[in-house]
Amino acid sequence: MSDEPTNFLYPFIDAQEDDAASLLADLAASAQAKATESLALRHSTLQLNADLLNRAAAEMARRFAAGGRLFTFGNGGSCTDSTTLAGLFARPPIGKPVPAWSLTADQAIVTALGNDVGFELVFARQLIARAKAGDIAIAMSTSGNSPNLLAAFAEARQRGLYTIGFAGYDGGAFANNPNVDACFVVRSQSVHRIQESQALLGYQLWLMVHSGDQALGAA
Amino acid sequence: MTTVTAIDRGLSAELAEDLAAAAFTLAKRFAAGATMWSIAPSWEPHALHIAVEFVHPVIMGKRALPAVALTGPALVDQVRISVQPGDIVVAVASAHNAQVRSVMRRSPAWGATTIWIGGGERPESGMADHVLWLDDPDPRVPATGGFVLFYHLLWELTHVCFEHSGLLKPEGAEPVCVTCSDEGRLGEVVSASTGGQAPVRTARGVEDVVTTLIDPVGAGELVLVHAGTAISKLEEEEGL
Repeated sequence: MSDEPTNFLYPFIDAQEDDAASLLADLAASAQAKATESLALRHSTLQLNADLLNRAAAEMARRFAAGGRLFTFGNGGSCTDSTTLAGLFARPPIGKPVPAWSLTADQAIVTALGNDVGFELVFARQLIARAKAGDIAIAMSTSGNSPNLLAAFAEARQRGLYTIGFAGYDGGAFANNPNVDACFVVRSQSVHRIQESQALLGYQLWLMVHSGDQALGAA
Repeated sequence: MTTVTAIDRGLSAELAEDLAAAAFTLAKRFAAGATMWSIAPSWEPHALHIAVEFVHPVIMGKRALPAVALTGPALVDQVRISVQPGDIVVAVASAHNAQVRSVMRRSPAWGATTIWIGGGERPESGMADHVLWLDDPDPRVPATGGFVLFYHLLWELTHVCFEHSGLLKPEGAEPVCVTCSDEGRLGEVVSASTGGQAPVRTARGVEDVVTTLIDPVGAGELVLVHAGTAISKLEEEEGL
């Protein structure tokens, strides 16, 4: 038996076993338990962040209506989820598109900056080149501690952007950070469950940006 | 607060069983040396997220698995040149996506096992080896995190299976024709037939196949191969 942290869930683990049916039944039960946990966390996350969602959506709507644009960024799975969010704003299946981009979309820029000035600045430097007062920055992270996201927030603050952070655990360095206007924290210790709730938070933010502001029309 | 689509659904018992079966297949294929290729033509970040999930696990100490996202144009050509027999193709797409439909139809000829994740109207039965589906027709579902949950669970359950190495042994031979010891196998024509023969790609590799029964055939056409002979052509799908 290996020393996996999940072993207590699977007391019958045995390399010599020959009965796939019991494994499959156990996997299905595990999937349902994890999905139930994910659903409960998504509900509680939306409830705990309801006021902040309202405030952030109102400010985003105000900025989009005034010509503001959205930049999203993150690392790894949070990078892809932030790209999905940028895509939802820029090319929504339903509703009005607004200008939004993921700062990880261009491999040439990301690798040039990573190679020449360091990975900590791959997002901050892009904001220096592109962002202006009135724009919006959304960084997604599970730890809330990624140096390149914190550097980008500092740059965004200097440039008059509205800054939104998505974090997990206790919020990490995103929480109580003067460079982060709205910090959404998913109170979980699981990277996977945090990302699932963050995806829904982002979706809810998009819905509310479009439902709350007549200038943008209903989503 | 606005009622949000797609968050109140739990995981039905049927879907949980589908996830379990898909993860068990993934573990068996990975144990046998497979690479997983992910595609998501309308929601490319999902393909990238699947790859990074398996290559660089969030839980320290879990093994890195070969997973690659294929993005950009000409996905059918990209998958064709990438997959080896025994590999896995996982797609995130609607049932109507023409490129994914073409990849799914051809995958048996390439020897690839297929997993199709999507929402809305379901693909026809048999289009993929494993179908993980949210029936919610809302086109915004791919942005709500539901698919993220799917592939997170796939990863988590696959790694549980690795703790059961006794169950990951290679499977037995497939059923064959009792008279000639061969079976009807899907093949993809590699290049146009000449002199009643053509090179055809099947799950066993590229073989020279007699095509006189169905000539002429051209590159990319799907045929049924039995005992060294192409016995029928599969009809093309509209728009492919």
